[in-house]
Order: sequence, then structure tokens, then C-alpha cells
Amino acid sequence: MTQTTEVYACLYAKEFPAQALLRLRPDLHPKPCVVLEGKAPTQHVCSLNTKARLLGMERGMTRVEVDTFPEPVALLRSPQSEAATKAVLLECAGAFSPRVEDRSEANAFLCGIDIAGTKNLFGPPEMLARNLLQRVRVLGISASVTVSTNLHAAVSLAKGLSRKTPLHVIATGREAATLSVLPLSVLDLTEKQVETFGLWGIHTLGMLAALPEKELVARMGQESRRLRQLSQGELPHLFQPVEPTFTLEERAELDSPVEILESLLFGLGVMLEQLILRAKARILSLASVTVTLTLDGGGTHTRTVRPALPTTDKQLWIKLLHLDLEAHPPSAAIVGVMLHAEPGSTTKMQLGLFSPQLPEASRLDVTLARIRAVVGEDCVGRAVLQDTHAAEAFRVEPFTVPTGESVVPTSPHSRASMRQLRPLETASVTLQHARPTYFYFREKRYNVEHAYGPWVVSGDWWNPTLWGAEQWDLVARAQDGAMLCCCMMRDVLQNRWQMAALYD
Amino acid sequence: MVSAATIRMQVESALARKIPSALTPQAKMVRPVAATGIKALDDVLRGGLPIGAVSELVGPECSGRTSLALSFLAQVTQAGKVCAWIDVSNTFDPLSAAAIGVDLARLLWVRCGVQAGRVEPTSRHFSLPEKYLAPPSIKKGLHGGGFGPHPRTEANGLSTAVSGLLHPQAFAPRCAEPQRSIRPKQQTVEPVRYATERTVPVARSSKPWTRMEQALRSADLLLQGGGFSAIVLDMGSLAPEFASRVPLATWHRYRLASERTQSSILLLTQHPCAKSSAELLLRLYPAAPLADETTVFTGIQPHAEVARQRFTQNESNVVSIRKPPQRVNTASWQSRMTWAGRR
Repeated sequence: MTQTTEVYACLYAKEFPAQALLRLRPDLHPKPCVVLEGKAPTQHVCSLNTKARLLGMERGMTRVEVDTFPEPVALLRSPQSEAATKAVLLECAGAFSPRVEDRSEANAFLCGIDIAGTKNLFGPPEMLARNLLQRVRVLGISASVTVSTNLHAAVSLAKGLSRKTPLHVIATGREAATLSVLPLSVLDLTEKQVETFGLWGIHTLGMLAALPEKELVARMGQESRRLRQLSQGELPHLFQPVEPTFTLEERAELDSPVEILESLLFGLGVMLEQLILRAKARILSLASVTVTLTLDGGGTHTRTVRPALPTTDKQLWIKLLHLDLEAHPPSAAIVGVMLHAEPGSTTKMQLGLFSPQLPEASRLDVTLARIRAVVGEDCVGRAVLQDTHAAEAFRVEPFTVPTGESVVPTSPHSRASMRQLRPLETASVTLQHARPTYFYFREKRYNVEHAYGPWVVSGDWWNPTLWGAEQWDLVARAQDGAMLCCCMMRDVLQNRWQMAALYD
Repeated sequence: MVSAATIRMQVESALARKIPSALTPQAKMVRPVAATGIKALDDVLRGGLPIGAVSELVGPECSGRTSLALSFLAQVTQAGKVCAWIDVSNTFDPLSAAAIGVDLARLLWVRCGVQAGRVEPTSRHFSLPEKYLAPPSIKKGLHGGGFGPHPRTEANGLSTAVSGLLHPQAFAPRCAEPQRSIRPKQQTVEPVRYATERTVPVARSSKPWTRMEQALRSADLLLQGGGFSAIVLDMGSLAPEFASRVPLATWHRYRLASERTQSSILLLTQHPCAKSSAELLLRLYPAAPLADETTVFTGIQPHAEVARQRFTQNESNVVSIRKPPQRVNTASWQSRMTWAGRR
């Protein structure tokens, strides 16, 4: 029987409230940003970026103190964006192992990943850690990754790592030695414990680990035993995995209400890029994207865009969203954006050497959206016939490129067709013996040569709908020799003659 | 030893003034065509309408342009290709297109000039007054049907009911029969109300020039996107002055685009407008109506003439003194309605 060794990776992101807010705001990265927490007069800084720290800002500063610095960007803490970013990170960690434990703290993101047995899949732990770090960096978060056989050792090391070395793998059996240089602040001590250790002159984990166990417990209680094990990297851990859900969702609040759509598109682009990255990590693409705009005044404006084929082309998505939002603009200024995407399978299109040339699906989507903007929403598409005898027995559906063979049989004989007049045009008809003899149509007089009819059309007897009409097929000739083969309708209910169609 | 090539050169140079390159076979340029599905016309056009070029079908209303274009589209969609119908006057009839054999799933229909207030099909709702629909109250009594507990009372009031049913004025009274004085009861008939919310006031489609502009922009976009094997620009119901106002540069652009994307562009017009940008100009004359049946309209007999065809190749390069035999350039065929049956 082989003995399985535990291996854990620990993903740690400092200053999480600030990172979560700045993730989708690349324009703010070069500026000193602080995140404020609390009610309006007593707000204080809970998180800040490196730029702000270098300027001298600190956690716990009040708003007034922050304002004394040049050009500070003060953001309000947003639990929603933190939750969303946390879900993104957990999902990213879940790509490396199905067992992920969320150990987040108030101002930091922390998760343990059980990577035992993934060597064949992702390579040695160093490679896995490097890949994980790279994936997290692509998501817009700077984090550090540590790997150890003891999860607590990995967590302690991750908290104590400097920013310059974001990756560290503790070799088996070297936990105590690696941890010995770390300060005691990585251990979450109570104030009393900090004070006691300070009096004793204990400052690093190595010093704590060197204390004799029995004497330590006699003086500080059972809790100190745990601390000593922690500092030695020997505390056992019961792993409590969470199941990261896969929802493609991104949200962002805008600093000031935005009226112009174009300025929104930049932000949409960043969010879409994130969604596409996450979908791509699972070998998926986006099937539809729903934009929910939070409007000034409390309303929301929701639009869904669904191209013919799932795609991960960011430019295409931006173009489609732009065209859609231009066609259906929101009624008020925009204060917040939420994107929700449905994942779809990546398309596999088999192209044949002899298959006919067809429109490219993604280009067709943009073309159709542009034409829709020119002629109107319902005026582009394919006609689908309906099973009824009513006039205009069809509906228009969105056009997609069909696959496979055409199954409609062509008629072997040449068929005449009709040109429907929409709306029906009025004609004044003169009757003789209840049959039309001549009529005026488009300011021209036509003498009827043949009149076929009337064919009576009524409603569906099973429906309350009623369209009582008589249809006449007329062959008529104008005085200048122009021929007209037409279908004229007489509205029985109102006794009105109308030109319905021309045979052409 | 004089080679055959040298002799050929000598003969050709001797005849050069009379018959240029007499012994060299003429270089053939194969121009792809697509069949229209109408045999008489395909014979005249030597295969069909050109691919990668603009063809113009010119003719007045009721001359068979639409059925010819639809027949061509039916052939194209049968091959699994995708077509577009840009409908300037919103006159396309999907029902007849399907009857001709166009696969509607492969036909993109762009309707121009349909304004926001859509034209609803004029249908009215008719409903019976509520009192006719409510079931009659259940009658009491032993037998269910009568008005009293005993069968003898079942026929009570029957005579009055019958004479009430038969309108008294219609029957001359028998002389000895006592007449009941009938007071004409004023009957109130509720007027049948038609629900009016379905019949939206008809919004006139927009100005012809606006529609034309929409159609031209749509055609531009479709040609840019590419992939459509045939694009029909239906201006058949548009007065000639509007179609001819389109700058010739537009048609030239379409010609180049269709060459690039290898799609056939069909223009249905009343008056030729594309001029030299069109590779084929097919003029249709007013069709004669068929009079096979006395009771139903059976169809029309279109008559087409090839007015101009570019890049036609001569059979031989010999310039004859006599007038060479001319090809037939007119065709006539019968387009029958779907209900007309076969003759």
C-alpha cells in the first residue's frame, strides 16, 4: 500500500478590497487609490494600493487625512465586487484541483488547494504554482503562492512572503527551518499573547518553535501548544473543501453617471476580456451576454445579445453589444454595469472542399445587426410560413446560416408568383351584373378582360377571428396597352375594394 | 525540312489581312453561369445568369420578373447556398416563393421602408353576446325536459311557441281561426362590436427615396460581409425616376464587389438603370395571360429578350463578308399558378 503524502498550495492576495475594485479599472492603476469603509463621517481606509502606500498612506486613516495627500482616488468598499472577485479566484484555483478550501480573511483573500496527486497532470508543484500565479495575474490580481505538505505552514509562509518573491515551495521536512525567520505577526495572535511574547523577547517563529512545550503550556495554556505546532509547521489540518460555482458574471460601478455609450464600451471591453479568459480556461466560449445597466434613478436596462455561434472574439462581442445598445439606448444615465454570460461549447465547424460558399457566422451577425439598424428591428430575417389561410401567413425569424442539405423540392414547372402590396392599395371598381368591368388603380383606368371569382375567404371557424373578404383575380388592360394581372380583395364587411397583389 | 509550325506561321501571315490568326484556335474564356430553372431562357442565355456579375431584369409590372428571379433563387438554394432578397417596396410574398421552391431558411429577407407602426393583418374579432354562450338554467321536474311534474303538462305553451316561431306575417290566417293580436315586440339587438385594437391605423411606408437608400445600404453591407451567392435588389414596384436617380458609381461598386465575392446580383427594375455595370440586360415584355380555364386564373406567359450581354464570344474569328447567323435572343415560357394544375 502506498502512502499518499499531502501537498497543499496556498493562494494569498493581500489588500483584497482594493485589488477587487481595481481589477476592472486599469485606468486607475497608476494612481494612488484607497478603499474607504464605514459610514460617511467616520470613514477610514481599509485597503490601499502600492502607489498609495509609497506616498505614505496607511490603513486606518480617515477621509480628511487621505485628502491631505496629492490627488488621492478614494473608492468605497464594495462587498459585491469582492464576492465576485473571490468567486473568480476560487474558480481559477478550482481549475487545478477539485478540492479547494476558502480561508479568506477580512482584508485578504486566502485559499488552500489540495494538489496531492496532480503531478502527472500539472507537473511538479513549482510548475503548478507558477501556472496558477500566471492565471491569477491574467485575472488582474497580484497574489503569492506557496506550496507545502502542511497547509498551515503554507498559509503562514504566504502571509510572511515579501512581494518580490511571490512563489515559494517548502521542501518536505524543511517546514520549521523555512518558517523560523518569519515574524510572529503571521500567526493571528491575541493582544495578550503578543504582549507576553514581546516581554519574553520572542519575535520570530523560530524562537517560538524552540521553546520547550511543557513549560510553554504550563504558562500560556493549551492555545500556546497550537501556536508552537504552527510555528514548527506541524499542526494537522482538517480540509474543508468548498465547491466553486462557475458563473460568468462581472459587475462594475461607475464613479459618475455616464450618458455617452462609447465611454461605457471601454469598461465593457475590460469586463468582456475577463469573461472570455475565464470561459477559455474551461475550453468554453460565450454563447450569450446579458448586459444589465443600472440607471440613474433606480431603474435597470437589460439587453441580451446572442450571436448565431458561441464565440470568444472580444471585438465581435463589443461590436454586437454596441450595435444593440445603440438600437435600444437606456432611458437615463448609467451608473453601474453588470455582465452575465452563458457559456457555450466552442464551435467546431467542419469545412468541406466542395461545400458551397456560405457567410461567415460571426461576420454575418455584425452585418445583420448593422442592417437592422438601417431598416428596423423586425425587418431582417427569414420568413417562416404559418399554417393558416389568413393573409400575411408568415412570421419573420432571425436569420441563421442553415447547415445540411436543402429539403425543399423545386417545382419542375415554371410557377408564377405574386407581389403583395403592403398596405393594400385602394381601387375604385365599377361592377356590372355583380362583376367588375373596369377599375381605376394608381390613377389609371383598366378595362377588365377576365374576372375570375369571387373566392370567399372567411375566418377560421374555430377562432373568433373573422376576415370576411372576396378575392377576385382580374386580367385587365389599360387604354395605353399596359396589362395588369392582379388579385383584388373586396372587404365584405365594409364593401371596399382593395388591390392586394399583382401576379408577376 | 520545314516544320508544321513554320507552315502554319506562313499561312497565317499570308492571310493576316483577310482572316486574322486563321489557324490559331480562339482562346476561350469560361464565364461561370447559374441556371434559372427555365429551360427556354437558359438556352437563350447559354446556361443561365452570370455568376459574379450584375444582371438586370427590366420590365413593367406583371411581366414575370419576380417569378424569374424566384426561380433562379430556387435553383441557388437547392444547391445549399444562401441568398438575400432586398425588398425595396416590401412586396415579397413568401408563400409564392415557397411554392416555386425557394428554401426560405436560406433566404435572407430585408424589408425596406416598413415603419415602426406595423401593418397588422386586417382581421376582426367577432364574439357572440354573453347570453348565447351561458348554458340555460337546469329545468326542474321529474323528467327533466318538461315544465311540470307531470307528463301531461309537457306540451303546455307549445302552440304559442310554434306560432311565435313561425312569423305571423308570413302565413295567411285561416279564416275561422281566432287571431291573437300580436303586438310587435320591440327587439333590441345589440350591435356586433368589433374589437378595434387589432387594426392599427395603417402606417404608410416611407418615401421611395428613403426606401431606396435603405436598400442600397443593406446591399452594400451584404456585399461587404460576403457569402451570399445571390442578392436580389427588388425595385420592381418603384417608379423609373427613383431607380435611375441612383448614381452609376453605386452600380459599378456592386459590380466590383460581386466579382470579388462571386455572387450574382439581380436588379428587378422597370427601366434599365445600371447601364454598362450590368453584364446582362434582360428585357421582359408585358406577359400574356393564359386562358386555359374559364373559372380560375391559370398564369401568365412571360416573354423575354436579351437586350444586352457583355463578353459574348463569337463562334469563330473569321470576319465574314455576309452577315453571320444570329442567335435567337428571345424566349417565352409559361408561368402557371400553383392551383392551375398541369396541362
